[in-house]
Amino acid sequence: MSRPVQSRRGQLADAALVVALLILGIQVYLFETVLQSVLDGQRALLPGAFAASLVLTAVALFLAFKVPRIDAGPKH
Amino acid sequence: MAWKRAFPVDLADEGRFSRREFARFLALVSAGFTAGLGYLWLRKKPLAGAPEPVGQKEAPVALGLAAELRPGQSRLFTFRDAQDRCILLRTPMGELRAYRQTCTHLGCAVRFRNDQLECPCHEGFFEVERGFPVQGPPTRPLSGIALELRPDGTLWAVGDLPKPTALPTRAGAACPRDTRMEVEA
Repeated sequence: MSRPVQSRRGQLADAALVVALLILGIQVYLFETVLQSVLDGQRALLPGAFAASLVLTAVALFLAFKVPRIDAGPKH
Repeated sequence: MAWKRAFPVDLADEGRFSRREFARFLALVSAGFTAGLGYLWLRKKPLAGAPEPVGQKEAPVALGLAAELRPGQSRLFTFRDAQDRCILLRTPMGELRAYRQTCTHLGCAVRFRNDQLECPCHEGFFEVERGFPVQGPPTRPLSGIALELRPDGTLWAVGDLPKPTALPTRAGAACPRDTRMEVEA
């Protein structure tokens, strides 16, 4: 049985999806950590956390809307 | 709607969901977290269970004569409003401490037993010196209340204490379960 050949574009799409998933994981961790700190009365890290989250979202949006041929996966 | 196509109620309705749509969904969720952080940042009022910003003036609440409370005893009181239930106690060392009764795990009311603050719902225990959790599910310390002893001997609750961040120095506290067994024996 021959395995489907994955094109270079397909590999790029895989990487983009992995990065998007990774970003979401970081966002979940960041939000949980910041929420716990806020509940402890420490609000000083909110501006920094918001800025970091904003950058991550910008990257995720770029990957979702601007990266060309993200749909180009392995050919079956 | 794309999300209805992605997560249909019936399994038979499942269709092809492209990578692009999935990546857009991930980006949307990511934007939701960012919006949540922005909301927390812009929100002026503290979240339920969070202490007021340090330095904010509270109306002092009279707690009676300090001498009436003996070591190992406790007394309940309300601070900001009728829902803000707190507990005043005198530690075995003779020091007065006050904490919000709200357990930092799931919000049950803690009580003072066997020289420790105990949450009966899920067997969470807090030490009395600074309100740190020492056993059970809670991971965050109790919210402390600042006390003021006036010259006439009366005790007043005057505000919120900042949450302690350093670990308690008394790390080798006895296991509450062991203590209970000793009492029962």
